[in-house]
Parts: sequence; C-alpha cells; structure tokens
Amino acid sequence: MATLLQQLINGLVLGGLIALIALGYTMVYGIIQLINFAHGEVFMVGGFASLATYSYVLPESWRDHGHWPIALPLMALGGAVVAVVLAVAMERLAYRPLRNAPRLAPLITALGVSVILKEAVRLWYPGATAPVPFPRAFVDEQFRFQLGEGTVTIGATAILMIVVSILGAIILQTYITRSRMGRAMRATAQDPDTARLMGVNPNRTIVLTFTIGGALAGLAGVLYGIHITNVDTEVGFLYGIFAFTAAVLGGVGSIKGAVIGGFAIGLIKTLSGQYLPGGTQYDLVWIFVLLIVVLVFRPQGLFGEPERVRA
Amino acid sequence: MTALLEVQNLSVAYGAIEAVRDVSFAVGEGQIVSLIGSNGAGKTTTLRTISGLLRPKSGSILLEGKPITELAAHTILERGVAHCPEGRRLFGRMTVEENLHLGAYVRKDSGVAADMQRVYDLFPVLGQRRTQKAGLFSGGEQQMLAIGRAMMSRPRLLMLDEPSMGLSPIMTQRIFDTIKDLQAQGTTILLVEQNALAALALSDRGYVVDLGRTTLEGPGHDLLADERVRAAYLGED
Amino acid sequence: MSKPTNSVTGSVAIPPGLARPLGIGGGVLAILGALLPWVTFLLNDGAYPDKATLQFFDAPYAVSGFRLHVLLLGVVAIVAHFIPVPLRRVLRALGWGLIGVAAVNIVFPLVDGGGFGAITSDGTNFAFGGIVSLIAGIALVLAAKTGPLEPVPQWKTSVPTLVAYAVLVVSFVALLLVVAMMLNAGGQGGVGNPYAGPIFLSLLAFLAGVLGALHGIGLTGWISGLSDKHKWFSVIVLVLVALALPFTEAGTDYWMTTAANIGVYAATAIGLNIVVGLAGLLDLGYVAFLGIGAFVAANFSGAAAAAFDIELPFVVAAIIAAVVAGIFGAVVGSPTLRVRGDYLAIVTLAFGEIFKKAAQNNIGGLTGGANAIPNVPPINWFGASFDESLTIGSLELPSGVLYYVLIIVLVALVMVVFANLKNSRIGRAWIAIREDEDAARAMGIKTGQAKILAFLIGATLAGLAGAVFAHKTSTVAYDSFQFIESVTLLAAVILGGMGSIPGAVLGAALLLVLPEKLREFSDYRLMLFGLALVLIMRFRPQGLVPDRHRRAELADEGADGVPIEELNVHDTPGDEKAVTR
Repeated sequence: MATLLQQLINGLVLGGLIALIALGYTMVYGIIQLINFAHGEVFMVGGFASLATYSYVLPESWRDHGHWPIALPLMALGGAVVAVVLAVAMERLAYRPLRNAPRLAPLITALGVSVILKEAVRLWYPGATAPVPFPRAFVDEQFRFQLGEGTVTIGATAILMIVVSILGAIILQTYITRSRMGRAMRATAQDPDTARLMGVNPNRTIVLTFTIGGALAGLAGVLYGIHITNVDTEVGFLYGIFAFTAAVLGGVGSIKGAVIGGFAIGLIKTLSGQYLPGGTQYDLVWIFVLLIVVLVFRPQGLFGEPERVRA
Repeated sequence: MTALLEVQNLSVAYGAIEAVRDVSFAVGEGQIVSLIGSNGAGKTTTLRTISGLLRPKSGSILLEGKPITELAAHTILERGVAHCPEGRRLFGRMTVEENLHLGAYVRKDSGVAADMQRVYDLFPVLGQRRTQKAGLFSGGEQQMLAIGRAMMSRPRLLMLDEPSMGLSPIMTQRIFDTIKDLQAQGTTILLVEQNALAALALSDRGYVVDLGRTTLEGPGHDLLADERVRAAYLGED
Repeated sequence: MSKPTNSVTGSVAIPPGLARPLGIGGGVLAILGALLPWVTFLLNDGAYPDKATLQFFDAPYAVSGFRLHVLLLGVVAIVAHFIPVPLRRVLRALGWGLIGVAAVNIVFPLVDGGGFGAITSDGTNFAFGGIVSLIAGIALVLAAKTGPLEPVPQWKTSVPTLVAYAVLVVSFVALLLVVAMMLNAGGQGGVGNPYAGPIFLSLLAFLAGVLGALHGIGLTGWISGLSDKHKWFSVIVLVLVALALPFTEAGTDYWMTTAANIGVYAATAIGLNIVVGLAGLLDLGYVAFLGIGAFVAANFSGAAAAAFDIELPFVVAAIIAAVVAGIFGAVVGSPTLRVRGDYLAIVTLAFGEIFKKAAQNNIGGLTGGANAIPNVPPINWFGASFDESLTIGSLELPSGVLYYVLIIVLVALVMVVFANLKNSRIGRAWIAIREDEDAARAMGIKTGQAKILAFLIGATLAGLAGAVFAHKTSTVAYDSFQFIESVTLLAAVILGGMGSIPGAVLGAALLLVLPEKLREFSDYRLMLFGLALVLIMRFRPQGLVPDRHRRAELADEGADGVPIEELNVHDTPGDEKAVTR
C-alpha cells in the first residue's frame, strides 16, 4: 500500500515536470504545426542555465541553505530567461525562414537544432560530459508518513513541482482564453490567414508562443535540477519525448490535454516500472507503445480537435 | 478627385502561374464597386493581394494615393481596409463574441463595446447567441457574423468576397440590403461576386475580370445593360 | 533563390561595368596570393602544408599544394574572360573555391599558430597570401553578381556511341583518381598528422570550385546526360572503376576499411532515401533496421554468443537478415495507414527507441544485451577469409579489400534497385505521395500500400547492409544503433540530396571521411552534423547532388516566379528588406 502511494506520488511529480515541457510542445504545434524537437533541449539548457546562475552569478554567501528563498527564484529566473532567449532565437533564425518550405524542412531543422544544443552544452559547459550535480543543500526537507508497514516520503521539491506545474497550466489557460493576445494566438492556430485579416501579426504571436513555451521549459529545468539534484545533457531528448507523448496523448494543441497527458505519462512510467514485468528497464517501452497506439487509434488525442484543414 | 483605393496594373503569380494579369481599377470614396467574373478569374487573388496576404509580382495598390503594396496585412487593416474573406472563414471554435473581439483586434479606442452592440442590433440573431461557438451557425448566420466581424475594425473600405455564396435567395437579399445600409452609413465597399446581377444592381461602378484581366468597366447599370456582360455572366444569349 | 527574389530582397547589385575589372583583377590577385607567403613562422607541428610557411624565403616561386590550386584558379579565372563560356557562372564557382581554399588555410594557422600575426606580419616576416587570395575570391564572386547568371549550356548528347563510351570511361577514371587523391590528401588524420584536416578541406574547396566551373560550362551536365543515355555501360564502368580503387594510392588497409564502412552506410542511406527522399516519409528510427539485420546475421554466424548454434553461409544469413528487417519495416510502416506526416516521424522514433531498449536488455537472448555479440567471424568464401589481405599473382592487396569488393557489389545492387524503383510505377506513386498525398489518393494511388512498401524495401536494404556490418565489425552491440546514428544517416541523405542516388553515396562518404580527416575535431562531429542539417534545409534544401526531378521544384536556377503568400510579414512597415521568404 505504501509502495503504491509512493509510486503515485513519484508519478505525479514526474508528471508535473512532463506537463510543463509538454505545454511548450503543444502550443508550438498548435500554432505552426511544427514538432519542435529541440524543445526538450530547451528544457535541458534551462536546467544548466539555472545551475550556472547559481555557480557563476550568485554571490557565494547566498549559496547556502538559508538563502534559498532568494537564490531559488533567481535561479529560476536565470533558467527561464536563457530558455526564452534560446527558444525565440531558434524560431527567428531556424524556423521562420522555412515557414513556407515543404513540411519536412522545418522538422529536419528542428532535429538539427536539437543536436546542436545538446552538443553545445556537452562541449562547452564545464564538466557536462557527465551529469553535473545541483546544489544539494536546497529545499531538501522531506516529509514522511507512516502507512501500515511502510513509509511514504514526499520532498519539498516534489510538492513544488506539482504545485508549479498545475499553477502554471491554470495561469496559461486563463491567459489564452481571456486576454487579447491569447485570442490572437488561438485565432492564428485556427486560421493564420484570417487572423492576419483581423490585424494579428503572426510573427509576434508565434514569438509569444515560443516565449511562453521556453519560459515553462526553463522553469521545468530548474525544478528538475533541484529535485533530481543533478542535470545531464541526455535528459533533453528523453524528457522531450515524454513530453511530446504527453502532448499527443492529451491532444496536440490542447492545454488541458498536455497537463493531463503529462500526469498520465508520469504515472504510467512509475507504475509500469514498479508493477510490470521487466521493471524500470521497460518503462520507456510502455510509454512508446502507448504513444504509437494513441497515434494510430486516436491521433487527435484525448482532448484534441481533429487536425485543421488548411485552405 | 483621388479614389480611396486605386489598383494599377496589378499582376500576381502563384509560382509560374499568373493568376492576375495587369488588373487596374479604382474605388471612389463612398461607392460600392464590384468586380465580377467567372470562377478562377482572379478576383479573390486580387482582394487577397490588396489586403496584404499575397505579394504582387508587379503593379501597385494605392490607398488615398499612398502605396500600400508592400505593407503587412495588419498594417493595411490599421489603415482602414477590412477584408471579409471568401467562405467566411470564421474562427469556428470561438464564440460569436470572441470573433467580434478579433475583428476589433487592432482598435485601441473604447468604442468596441458600442460597435459590438451595433452589430447585434443589425443582426439580432448574433446578439441572442453571442456565447455560442461560431462553427455551429448556419451559412447565413455565419455570413452575418463575418460581415459584422469585418465591420468591427471600423473600416473605411470594406472588401467582401462572395458574400452571397451558398445562401438562400432570401438570405442573399438580406446580405445585399445590409451592404446598401453600410454604404449609407459611409463605408466604401469593394464587392467581389459571381452573382453578377445582384452585385451590379447595387454597384456604383463595376469591373469585369476575365482570365486575370479587367476586360470591361463602367457604371453598374450600364454594365447590366451591356450585351457582352449579359451574354457572359447573366446567362442570356 | 530565384532572380526576382534577389532583386526584391535588395541583395548586392554590382554595376555591370565593374565585371571585367573585378574578374580579371580577382584572377591576378589570386596569382599574386599564390606566390606570396601564407604564414609568418614555422608552426609548432612543423611546416604548414607543403612548406607554405616560409617557402617564399627559402624557395621563392616554388608553388605546390594548395598554393598551386590558388594559382590554377586564378589563371583559369583570367583565361575564362577570353573564351566563350558562361562567364559569371564560372567566376562564381571559381570565386567560391578560392574563398574556401583561402579560408581553410587562414583559419588553421590562426587557430594552430595562435594569433592574427600568423597570417599578416610579425614585424620581420610578412604573410599576406591568404588574405590576398581571400580578397581575390570575393572579387570573383562579386564579378559574377554584375548580372543574372547565364543559362547552363546544353551540349548535344547525340554523339557516336564510341565517343560517348570514351568520354564516360575517361570521366569515371578521372573521378576515381580524384577520389583516391582526396582520400590520400594529407594522409589520415591524427596526432602524428595534424594537417590532414586542412589539407583535405582545402582540396575539397578547390575541387568544388573546379567542379562548379565545369558544371557552369555544361560539361558535367553533358556527361550526366551521356551516362543517362548509356545507363548500363555507365553502371558497369562505374563498378569497375570503384573496384580499381584498391590499386590506387588509396589502396591501404586503412582506407579499404574506411571505404567499406562508407559502403555499408551508403547502402543504408540509399535505403533510407527510398523512405525519406522518394516517399517523403521521415524515418527517425531507421538505424534499427540495420541493427536487426546485424543481430540476425550475428546469430546465424556461429559466433560463440549467438542464440542459435548454427553457422549459415553468409548469403543465406544475409537474405534472412534482409527478410526479417523487411518484415519489421512493414510493421513499423503500418501506422502510416492512419498516421500522417510529422506524427509518423515520432512513431518511427519511438520504434527505434523500443528496439534499442529491447536490444539493451538482451530480449529473447538474441542481442547479448550489454555484452553484445562479440567475435562474429569474418565472411569466409572459398577459403578466403575476408579480413585478410589478398595476393593475386605478384600483387598484394591490402586487408579489407574483399569486404570492399563485396560492399561495392552491394552498393551497386542497391543503386540498381533504387534506380529501377524510382522510374517504376511504384516510384511515381511515391513521388506523388510525397508531393501531395490527398491528390495522389484522388488519382487512385493506393497510398497506404505504397507507403508500407517504401518502409519494407528501405528496411530490407538496411537489413542486408546490417548483415555485412555484423561480419565486418565482428562485434554487434546495441549501442551501435542509437538515435544519433539515425540522425547521421538522415544527414547523409539530406546532405547529398533527397531522392538522389549519387547524393546518398556522396553524403555517406563525406560524413564518414570528414571525421577521419578531422580527428582533432572529432568532438564536434555531431554538432557539425546538426549544423549541416539546419544550414542545408535553409540554403540548399535540394542537397549537394540534387535529384533531377527535385531540382526543378526546389529552388534552382531557371525556376522563375516570385514567392508569395508568406506568413512571414514585416514587423514594421520600414522593415521591407527583411521580408519575402
């Protein structure tokens, strides 16, 4: 019983992380129909950037446990800012010139960008050829509950992850549905030409989309770092795929779908690792199998709308 | 008198295919001007080029004598040219209200709410269903919403592309009445229609576009009487 | 980019009057640059390529190596002004070649010798050769911009058969010599040979310039037209010429092994090209089929760790490997019936990852897991083990030559399969699907079947290549078949040109030879691949050797028309230059 509860908690934490990344995927796909492969790497870079903020920007005296209420927001800011700059630069330099190219072209470009980002960090971030440790002294409170024979542990970072992801999604959803720019984004996603006839500047809308996606991915990066206590160039690809699967499962383009998909993937990963044959060795495989099944039998996902037909 | 809109020697190509060749026409302030012609004549392409969705290969488009040829679509809208596209192109997953809000997207003044009420007064059915998704509406209702949406930017020139397409005769009549009303309120109208009879009947001026060129022009009732127009577009011998 | 676009975007317009001064001046400058010294001092690792360093002082006017190339480019540029050729085309090619050669030989001393003084002046010695040549190159390119590019002349291909044969033989032999020269240029990269990279790159730039000029005067087009007319003769000569490589200066153990590796990759890349280039389906897990083929072959090879205790003859094992891989290909392709476009790429990626995970965990005891399947014996035919050297009469050929021969045959086979498919009913169906799937279906093409077939055939070819791979490398491990390998193969296809056979071979060759030559950059290998993908998609989506059909549709000279209907609009009304694509 305790094991199950523990795995459910772990799944929710992982799910929150995946959801934050999936939001970026889903929004970008919604607006320019591009699977932004490099989005997972933006998350990874966000993690490294927040670590760099800690290691190279913050004054030494702030790096202890007592200062985390200042240090952590600054790290998050550092991670998010770098991630946003990266995401926007990517859009401007790599994707925008290809907006009218055949569909394979931006997809292949995204693949290339993803390789470049991963390699850049691996080559140029000090020590990044192996996982780089995050400061351990950070928000490391653990709450334990006795449940029957076993103990259930939930860390402060875990709570933070779940809270931030749900809060982030709610704010985003509100913004998209209520604000003027949110309306412009939805309009561009539904029909870019007509949105232009309404006076919407598609470039501005698209940049905004990448900005929001980048910020959320950067945030996910710092949360990942303090929760797992290290960051690694490999995580971008892996979590990128998780997040993409979550976005597809929920229905690409749907914010609600990305969040629910994220939590679903998180739970599937931890629970299959615990209870299915093969254990954690095959948890990835189950996720991929699920991805394929969803794509084949319900390509619009759980909450998505059938793909837009372009005129 | 300079015309509000002047199109000079406009040519537009899709790759190697020239859809519009050397089209010229003018729309005077306060007029209703219609472009008529058969399917594929290049009328829609012309409108899309005026509103900045397409780039011309050559030629120029002047608004009050100033070129807008190279401007972006949103800038052209800000200058007062609204385009109600062919097939209505509503945002089907958004409500009536949201669609109207998008129509007023470029406006920063406080009159949006009043204008929205004006649209609801003009088309009461929209007012009754303002929180419903636009995709659920009938063709005629959608056309009303599309016109209402285009009006929300308070355009000086409203371009309507096939507003009567797919509508019943009664609904078509209502839409044309509305167009007349809009003119009476001071809006200049550029109308693209396959329904040449109805369009020319209410136009101050008409242009016949054929295979990408303007072939005939004149006041609406003159064109209506022209034998060649009657033969080609009104189905008479 | 087509010409009208250039005029709209306001790219540099040079007054036509400057054409001759720029062109001839550039040529003269290039000659001057070749004669000037290029580096002010002896570099730490010894004299810079071909003693360019202080050669001006100890051996003035002795010009060899890359300086000879610069000289040649300069002379040709001048001569071109006085003979009837499409001048601007030729100058453009020569100019870019010069820029390439100069850039390579400027950058390396800068990085290696440290500091700007290396290529300008250190007080006593001066060395402006590089900079002068660079300026010469730029002048030539500018001279080419004084007007629109001339059309490429079309030479008549209706020549007597014997003449055609002679031309083809000469061209292919020349090609062989160039390849051997390139492989040998600078030797093999590594610690003991730090200049292998620059020498090779410099030669590459020179050859690219020359080839571009030859293309400009219509020669390459003529030869390719002739080879189209005499297809079978060309194939035979090409195979014979390829088989002659071991007899050239590149006939070393090392290059035979590398060439064989290139062959395996090229065959796989051609298979991928069917899926991506012809049918337009992006496959991101393609290397899994190579892996399946390799594991199947390894398990039937009699290796100690194999799951089956039987040793099948290579041919039989290879056929089984191809069939198994093909079946998996059809299975992976089957979602194409319902999944479209981008999503399909993700399905294939997921499949690739599932394969890797399964292989990593030694699924069914078939893959050896982390221990891999080691000691796969070399192929052994008629008593000749393929990893040993071969002696024919008095001629001793390097080890690996038999694998090389086998792979040449394999690649030739795969190329023939590809070429025939491409021009067949199914090939046209693929291309139709790639261009517009809905229209293809409307025309009565069974798109589902065609797409699955593309996956099946592509996977079969990869499986076949995998069987050779297993024997050649002798250890088959799951980590040879990771995502990044799929990306590398994709990069090869895209670099060479989607849908183009010579393109896939060239792409695979470049992607394997470059890292061998540029050992000091081996860390940057993947980053360069990524960069290549991005830059090619942006600036030359048709690849280095475009498929003729694609050439027409993907932005090339001659294609006219203004790109319109761009989502890409002005940010500000004044920002007009930045627009239009």
